[in-house]
Amino acid sequence: MGPKSNSVQRGPNHLISDEWLLAYATGNLSEAKSTLVATHASYHPVLRQKIRSAEAIGGVLLESSPTSVFSDGFYDRLLERLGSEDSAKNLSSVVNTLKEDNVVPEPLARYLDRSLDDLKWHFMGPGMGQVKLHSASDGEKLWLLKVKGGTEIPSHGHNGHEFTLVLQGSYSVDGHKYAVGDMELASDDIEDHRPVISEGEDCICLVVTEAPIKLKSLIARLFQPFIGL
Amino acid sequence: MRTNQQTIQEINREALTSNWLRWFSSNSHENHQISKKGRSISLLNSDTPETLVSKVAENRDKQAFRLLFEYFAPRIKSFLLKQKVTDEVAEDLTQEVMVTIWQKANMFDPSKARLSTWMFRIARNKFIDKVRRQKYVEVDVDDHIKLMEAPEKTDTAVIHKQDRTRIMLAMDILKPELRHLIELSFYQYLTHSQISEQLDLPLGTVKSRMRIAFQKLRAELGEF
Repeated sequence: MGPKSNSVQRGPNHLISDEWLLAYATGNLSEAKSTLVATHASYHPVLRQKIRSAEAIGGVLLESSPTSVFSDGFYDRLLERLGSEDSAKNLSSVVNTLKEDNVVPEPLARYLDRSLDDLKWHFMGPGMGQVKLHSASDGEKLWLLKVKGGTEIPSHGHNGHEFTLVLQGSYSVDGHKYAVGDMELASDDIEDHRPVISEGEDCICLVVTEAPIKLKSLIARLFQPFIGL
Repeated sequence: MRTNQQTIQEINREALTSNWLRWFSSNSHENHQISKKGRSISLLNSDTPETLVSKVAENRDKQAFRLLFEYFAPRIKSFLLKQKVTDEVAEDLTQEVMVTIWQKANMFDPSKARLSTWMFRIARNKFIDKVRRQKYVEVDVDDHIKLMEAPEKTDTAVIHKQDRTRIMLAMDILKPELRHLIELSFYQYLTHSQISEQLDLPLGTVKSRMRIAFQKLRAELGEF
């Protein structure tokens, strides 16, 4: 998926940076962030290439590891396992029925295991809906956000990082535009964050928030406990 | 692409390490059997780890599987032991990895990825699934990839060996503090924040060093 528009400047962080790709490849990301990074990478060959390289490095480190000794009978137990797995015989016969559509890329489709239409969207403000996909014990959350074209999102500061990946539509923040496949990484030192959704179709985003968002306006503060950010 | 016989035989010697040879000599009964049929000779002279996987896929060849096991399983176990799991857990996971290799051998495409890369992915995913009990969505990073012009297995082995040597050299010349970060990432499953705590470094420093280290290693790998 290529750039959508030449007239508006692309957001500065529209591709996630290398340390996150390395962390993904080494298996060091949480459920929320790994889902986000895998989905983001599915739009951009350059990101997949980097993940590939990191995994190749992992392979070399694995192959260059010293050898360990196994407990007695390990290989025989393994052979027994192979025998029973083969007789179960249900491995490759399972046909993967992915609910992929043109909005949800494959990694996210696999995670959701249902189509966007089957999700239950919760009201979170005028023109805004959300589905919480995962909550971790440290306060990190993965969710889908759907906002009507033309909507202005209430001003909010951040506690912790907020990662936003655009799946459909686009939005602008501080004169930068984020379109399909783009990632915005808003860091915790941003005080006033006020994205505006482009006119037209709904904007659907996959979002990871690291900690509760501090909403600034009174009305937004009133909304906060209700919308569960 | 280099295809001279000398190099290929060198690869085979490299691939079939002393472990494998030890296995051949320590199983005198089987060794005798296969020598009689002349199969051990063909295995030693023409097989690379990659061709062994295709024998497992196509013929459910236990002999080929055993050779893969002898070479990779002790390394997979020691790689997993670095993640600070018990010996028992490391063996359970290694068994899971080897079972997956047996089951999914037909999914491995040597023209798209190294065998060691494939094994690394399987080991990583098993660890996340069984030890951390976490979902980890995969993205297909091998699409549109071709490792070489003509997909001859021997060529693949040559390229793989060259890449391996280059990566190991790149690791060796990496500054110690960068190398340490890479090792912590691959061996101990630490997040950026955990590394920052463990090394008492600002989070920003950990991330920027991570980027530099990764860039240096990638530069050695080139495009593939």
